[in-house]
Amino acid sequence: MLNEASKLYFAGIDIGSTMSKAVIVDAAGVMKAYVVGPTGAEHRRRANKVMEDVMQKACITLDEVAYIISTGYGRVNVPFADKQVTELTCHAKGVSALFPDVRTAIDIGGQDAKVLKIKNGRLTDFLTNDKCAAGTGRFLEVAAETLGLELNEMGRISLQTDTPVKINSLCTIFAQQEIIARLSEGQALPDILAGVYIAVTTRVVKLARQLKVEPPVVFTGGVAKNVGMVKAMQTVLAIPILVPEEPLITGALGAAILARDRAFQLVQDGTLQLKKKELSEAYIDFVEKNR
Amino acid sequence: MSAYFLGIDIGAAGSKAVILCGQKIVVSIVLPSGTNYATTASQVKTDALKQAGLKESDIIASAATGIGGRNAGVSSYHGVIICDARGVNLTFPSARTIIDIGGQGSQVITMDEAGRVINFNVSEICATGSARLLQVLARILQVNMDDIGPLSMKATNPSNFSTSCTVFLETEVITRISQGDKPEDILAGIHRSIADKISGMSRGVALEKDVVIIGGGALDIGLVKAIEDKLQVNALVPENPRIIAALGAAVMAQEQQQAR
Repeated sequence: MLNEASKLYFAGIDIGSTMSKAVIVDAAGVMKAYVVGPTGAEHRRRANKVMEDVMQKACITLDEVAYIISTGYGRVNVPFADKQVTELTCHAKGVSALFPDVRTAIDIGGQDAKVLKIKNGRLTDFLTNDKCAAGTGRFLEVAAETLGLELNEMGRISLQTDTPVKINSLCTIFAQQEIIARLSEGQALPDILAGVYIAVTTRVVKLARQLKVEPPVVFTGGVAKNVGMVKAMQTVLAIPILVPEEPLITGALGAAILARDRAFQLVQDGTLQLKKKELSEAYIDFVEKNR
Repeated sequence: MSAYFLGIDIGAAGSKAVILCGQKIVVSIVLPSGTNYATTASQVKTDALKQAGLKESDIIASAATGIGGRNAGVSSYHGVIICDARGVNLTFPSARTIIDIGGQGSQVITMDEAGRVINFNVSEICATGSARLLQVLARILQVNMDDIGPLSMKATNPSNFSTSCTVFLETEVITRISQGDKPEDILAGIHRSIADKISGMSRGVALEKDVVIIGGGALDIGLVKAIEDKLQVNALVPENPRIIAALGAAVMAQEQQQAR
């Protein structure tokens, strides 16, 4: 299957707890298309859907895809993937592709948070939290629900202030109660919201500090799309934070680049033949870099 | 003239007042804490005096405890750990270990025959180690708090949960309901989760007999049973387990008066 010279593209599929993402890269590892959609309960159906969508966006067919890697919480439910790789590995790869000098990557997803230490594009250490909703996107969802606001709206409103209210409770359940208490005391909504972002950030930064936060720091995951969170992260860490244009897709991007690397590895092993000129040149480049 | 002492405990969930005379509880009051601790503190005090038929001037000394105890408008404040120990010592002189399951956390305390604290561990503020988890689940399962214990005792096949965070458990419980797990099995599974958390906290603290369980969590017979099973002990539970810290505060007020 792999010895067809027309297979010029590589795919990464990241099935997260909340969102599913797919990325297509070419032989040079350059992103051609990406899609993002909610995961829902049916992982398999979702995996098919994001794959179809991303191919359509890139104007290619499945015959042109040489290798597919799945990652994320639902990676076992991608029946068409050639290989499964953990999200930490994919994430480190994807972040390094966008920011080659990255030393610390902080990823906050729908129900987990990860801190990765990266050196020369390689994962050197990591810590994760998926045990406690505090310090994850779930904390923000609960706050939004309590206040009857949209997540994006919440971020924008929070930017109106520089005097966040202190939210003392780390536990999401008690923080919810505290938010209501602050409201009833008559505290301003922007101050409360800014306080919510500081609370989530503080929890994650506590995790990050265990590994030492070294710049450049890249902030990713669905939560990094929230302007209020980005501001809170800059405030708490007191250094500038880099955020990719689309912070949700770094895992899928890493998976796609790893799919390309893996395919080239197969070429070196003699399993895959190359004829097309552009593919050959990218391959030579790959071999020289990895010598 | 009798010597009355007042103890007030402003907890995260409930506020309590106890009036003590000698070694006897004259009255005890429990109210929800709400968000204004100072108002609630004066309310439990007023209620206690009224119910006992006493005037403020009849109280020789008062002491407060609990998370909001410093806002209780009482000059003397003592930590919950010490008040728990004194209150349990008066209730069960044979007690050497206390497990207090409160509204926003729990603590394990060991003490000597005089109610002096030897060692203790407090949980972080986390809904799972507290009675709050049960409150959240009672709402989802549409069960009254008081019915949780008896219902859970009917469990035949306690549910297993992959998480211990209350927020994530909410989601998992809903999934279990949709899969057909019975409410009693879900509750028994949750009791096990809390018991595991408590057991983790008792590590490093030698659990000497008798073991007493207090706090709002002790009202739940299913939870008491789960802790007994996990720690392999028989536990004593006071008739009104929520008022023990307030009772201890009253004992402290009495002790300080006698020391004068």
